[in-house]
Amino acid sequence: MHNNFAIEINDLTKTYKGKKHPTLNGLNLNIPFGSLFGLLAPNGAGKTTTISAICGLRKFETGSIYVHGLSVKKNLNQIKSVIGLVPQDIALFPTLTAMENLRIIGGIYGIATPVLKKRIDDLLELFDLYGSRNNIISHYSGGMKRRINLIAGMLHDPRVLILDEPTVGVDAQSRKLILEKLREINRTGTTILFISHYLEEAEEICDQVAFIDNGRVISQGSPKEMIDGNCNCNNLESVYLCLTGKQMRDCNG
Amino acid sequence: MGRFRYLLYKDYLLLVRDIAGLLLMFVMPILLVVLMSTLQNSTFNVVNDIHVPLLLVNNDKGELGKAIDKEITSSEIFDVTTDLDGRKPSLEDVEREVAAGKFMLGIFLPEDATEKIRTNVKKYVVCAFNGIDSIPPKELVELSIFIDPTTKASFYSVLMSTLRERAQKVQFEFILKEMTSEVNKLSPIPISTNKFSGDQVTLKSKFAILKGNKIVPNSVQHNVPAWTLFAIFFIVISLAGSIIKEREEGSFTRLLTMPCSYTEYLLSKSIIYTVVALLQFGVMLLIGVYILPLIGLESLNLGSSIPALFTLALSSAVAAIGFGVCIGNISGTYQQSSVFGSISVVMMAAVGGVWVPIFLMSETMQFISRLSPMNWGLSGFYDLFLRNEGFMAIMPECLALIAFGTICFIFAIIYNNKHRLDL
Repeated sequence: MHNNFAIEINDLTKTYKGKKHPTLNGLNLNIPFGSLFGLLAPNGAGKTTTISAICGLRKFETGSIYVHGLSVKKNLNQIKSVIGLVPQDIALFPTLTAMENLRIIGGIYGIATPVLKKRIDDLLELFDLYGSRNNIISHYSGGMKRRINLIAGMLHDPRVLILDEPTVGVDAQSRKLILEKLREINRTGTTILFISHYLEEAEEICDQVAFIDNGRVISQGSPKEMIDGNCNCNNLESVYLCLTGKQMRDCNG
Repeated sequence: MGRFRYLLYKDYLLLVRDIAGLLLMFVMPILLVVLMSTLQNSTFNVVNDIHVPLLLVNNDKGELGKAIDKEITSSEIFDVTTDLDGRKPSLEDVEREVAAGKFMLGIFLPEDATEKIRTNVKKYVVCAFNGIDSIPPKELVELSIFIDPTTKASFYSVLMSTLRERAQKVQFEFILKEMTSEVNKLSPIPISTNKFSGDQVTLKSKFAILKGNKIVPNSVQHNVPAWTLFAIFFIVISLAGSIIKEREEGSFTRLLTMPCSYTEYLLSKSIIYTVVALLQFGVMLLIGVYILPLIGLESLNLGSSIPALFTLALSSAVAAIGFGVCIGNISGTYQQSSVFGSISVVMMAAVGGVWVPIFLMSETMQFISRLSPMNWGLSGFYDLFLRNEGFMAIMPECLALIAFGTICFIFAIIYNNKHRLDL
């Protein structure tokens, strides 16, 4: 049985064609139910490959992934309803309005129309976008696009929300709003897997973090445990640099 | 089905928001049909051997003049003119008009041509019946024929045969008449040949065309289906572009994490674009039936089976959309798809007989053209528009088009799973 964690990843390996070294090299990761979990790693360390594998977008050679006890290999269709992905790119139809985008996404998730309407209105209110709901997405500002992207990922009320760099390119106000709302959502019991390069954000909101490097987890714990456990470190960023080094990483993950 | 409805709604909205793309899909083929039908009209008329401008000046009041006049005027090949600004042209006028390119052929029949033939025949017959060996001098009857150097040899041959046949018939009738007259002088019982008709042999002709053999359409019958097919296949660029755009924008990634399969995603796009292709087809037919006659072209005859026409259009759309889905999947970027899509469609059109009709191609090219799906579609439309065939006649073309589209579609899914999703 694999019902102890919201996400359970065992010994995951993945090597891309034409690459000498595996991108994921025996990755093990357990994300507890209801946690706000930060996944932190340098460029090319395997973050995007990990979330792609969890969502069934990439196959992996060996290992297993379970989401709420469901195997990604065997129960992908069921998992799709459990997971909500907020990709780093604004994964919406730019020529449609926010309302049209959300109606289509909710409809494909099979949410009944009255429920969907209420859910859309609530989320638009929550992220301060209700007034601009009928505007075309391409006319939105960067911060508005990030917020509507977030709404689209959580429209079907997923039990696990995966966020890939949700605050990239937004102003301080939008960033603050997004982080606040994520905490609120997490308090309702939703497990959040938060991927970011902004370590201070992870330190601020995550109850647990894991560092990945060279395709495996090199450290995991609460931000406080991580900082306390590494001498001469007074924040998560210094822990991160201490563990992953200061060498530049430019290859794709 | 409920979920699929939202995919359809999404693709419908994406399409209608792309006003420029829609205009291109509808306005471009309309312009092409009107332009090409007009431009190629005279060429097709030449190919069809019809309406060759001919100036006929008949100064002969006798049987020869009447016979030639009747034969030429009743012919469907020639567009006959007999006067210039209300006056009868002279021999010089005829030559000048043909030389100026106003007429492709000119015929000048001199005065008393019949009378001269009659006199010549009479002299011969009288000499023959009176045992005179020496042939009396004959008066030459000269019909002047002027030919534009660009005139097709076949027109010239037809004209010469007609003139020769008529002249011989008149001579034959005169010989018979004179001989009868001479015989009656010698015979105690008068004989009559007035009721004798030279037309003992009648020529019965009809088109006996096997499927796939040459049949010559007019400009409208060729250009409307040809450019409609081109337009249907040109959807490839828009469809492939839409797939790549969604892939590049990231909305495709979101769809893949949602409870919908890649096949459903492609099917939804395919259905919306099929509707567009059928609308294009309908608009093109209306242009052919109602608009082209307004600019002096023939109206498009839709044949005898509208269901067959619809089936063929649908099959063509399936082929085009399958091809578009395939290009959208194998192309890495929007630029790749638009370049590859447009070039491949133009090549298919060129080989398939859209630009240059198949019957004008060499044997080798006619064989190669059978490889193009546009050739299958065009061949089907010829069956319906020219041969008035029904549903069964176009079944092979429809099946080939559907098979082509389906294979492309399946290949796209396999390619995507193997190379893009890495699943």
